[in-house]
Amino acid sequence: MLLALDTSTDWASVAVFDGRVVLAEETWHAQRRHGEELFPTIERVLSKSGTTLASVDKVAVATGPGSFTGLRVAIASAQGIARGTDAALVGISTLDVLAYPHASTKVRTCSILPAGKHDHYAAIYQERNRVWKRRSPFMVGPLEELARQIGTHTLFVGEMDEEVEATLRALLGPRALFAAPASRVRRAGYLAELGWRELERTTQSALGEIEPIYVRQPRIGGSFQQPFAPPPQDDVALGLPKRAS
Amino acid sequence: MRILAVETSCDETAVAVVEDGRRIRANVVASQAAHQRTGGIVPEVAAREHLRALDGVAQQALRDAGMALREVDAIAATVGPGLIGALLVGANYARGLALAAGLPFVGVNHLEGHVYANWLYETEDAPPEPELPAVVLVVSGAHSDLVLMEGHRRFRLLGRTIDDASGEAFDKVARLLGLGFPGGPEIERAAKEGDPSAFPLPKAWLPDRYDLSFSGLKTAVLRLVRTLEAKGPVPVADVAASFQKAVVDAMAEKVARAAAEHSVRTVMLGGGVAANSALRAEIARRTSLPLRVPPPRLCTDNGAMIGAAAFFSLRHRTGEIPAQVRSSMPLA
Ligand SMILES: [Zn+2]
Repeated sequence: MLLALDTSTDWASVAVFDGRVVLAEETWHAQRRHGEELFPTIERVLSKSGTTLASVDKVAVATGPGSFTGLRVAIASAQGIARGTDAALVGISTLDVLAYPHASTKVRTCSILPAGKHDHYAAIYQERNRVWKRRSPFMVGPLEELARQIGTHTLFVGEMDEEVEATLRALLGPRALFAAPASRVRRAGYLAELGWRELERTTQSALGEIEPIYVRQPRIGGSFQQPFAPPPQDDVALGLPKRAS
Repeated sequence: MRILAVETSCDETAVAVVEDGRRIRANVVASQAAHQRTGGIVPEVAAREHLRALDGVAQQALRDAGMALREVDAIAATVGPGLIGALLVGANYARGLALAAGLPFVGVNHLEGHVYANWLYETEDAPPEPELPAVVLVVSGAHSDLVLMEGHRRFRLLGRTIDDASGEAFDKVARLLGLGFPGGPEIERAAKEGDPSAFPLPKAWLPDRYDLSFSGLKTAVLRLVRTLEAKGPVPVADVAASFQKAVVDAMAEKVARAAAEHSVRTVMLGGGVAANSALRAEIARRTSLPLRVPPPRLCTDNGAMIGAAAFFSLRHRTGEIPAQVRSSMPLA
């Protein structure tokens, strides 16, 4: 039995998969409440599928790219569950999960996720010699830049609001195709299928090696009552007004 | 009762196994080296490092304790206060472990952990428990709280810093003097060679209250260093000693006064700054009450203190045990 966890973005999803069918699945708009909602959801999905963690021997987790904090919620949980059940753990890219259900269309597919204010994460998938595979690196940038990577007709999937869709239409014209909104949503059932297959092919790696795909560098910022950033100068560090030199 | 406890609120990835809230069976602490280069903690870097290290640290703790996970009775983790991204890693790993192993999960307040570090021991024989009520000073890179502990898990805040935490003041002055990070041990080392009365500095407290304030002091140190720089090489040891004296005097004065006013039976310290030996000595000099200070490696963040606090939180349970992480979570 495989448990699949995905908290990569504002959307989250949990599924239980027996190797052939998805027994239960829950996908919801968690916004920032992953930390609170993930565990109650796991328990609910397990009980709906008529399973307990005792029979789970595989765990699949979405590794992004996406929200760093969100990704770590599912990955840390998956590590703990895998350690506690002695299950094998596998990480699958969130963009791979998004593109996978569209493989049978044989249309070049681009999965997209928001990456902060003006940027998006993206990757391009295509069938070549009967093999459906990711054909680009994991990219991050503004839509204008991503559009330059799109040659031929491409199906866009993932999290896109109306504005993003309009921008892509304006940039690409008829070359931009859009999947139905409901089929763009990321579901852990697909993550489960990919994870199951991956575990049949690869050997289990150390749990600590499963980590988010960090396409971006960490931004230096403060939180938690005190400023935690590395202050570059003593004047700044001590919070004093700049001296005229 | 054996508790496996996880602490990831700041920059230490720590897991311990504690028996009955007191006896340490394992206590593994992995300090993140990345922050020494930046001279301060970058929250995103801290969270990344926790995720990489945590499972290995937990495995090591179980090995050190000579125990399998099924021999543990509960799983605990710090749920606040702290860096939210860092807390989420430890708390979710621990909840996953608890759910998978069919064990209860206990969310712990990090500050309660610093207090309950005073109950821990590693030897065969248990030293006596601290007698209550007590005045407790929790001082670290993020906190400077003076609390009255009326009984187990019954805390009343007497005073706190109104600006920077004491440990933060140490970090900033250390940086100003060209010393390393974290600043506490660096200042203490430099101060040993210096004259604490070399430079008069303002007191780090507010009159008529138990509150502390470090911003005026650090501004004075900055001015002092700038003036000295203009004249020649800065006498680092003397500045460090004078600064340390100003901080230590303020804390010791407030602790001694609170202990007398509330007629407590014990004075306790906790948190990274409590590892400062000048602070211990000054408080001991000003009060005749028994002074309890954990050994230095239990003053700084560790998993054992979370295991101790988790045990007492189950034993003196008041309402729901928190499972959600919060960046701010007062002790009282
Ligand atoms: Zn602490």
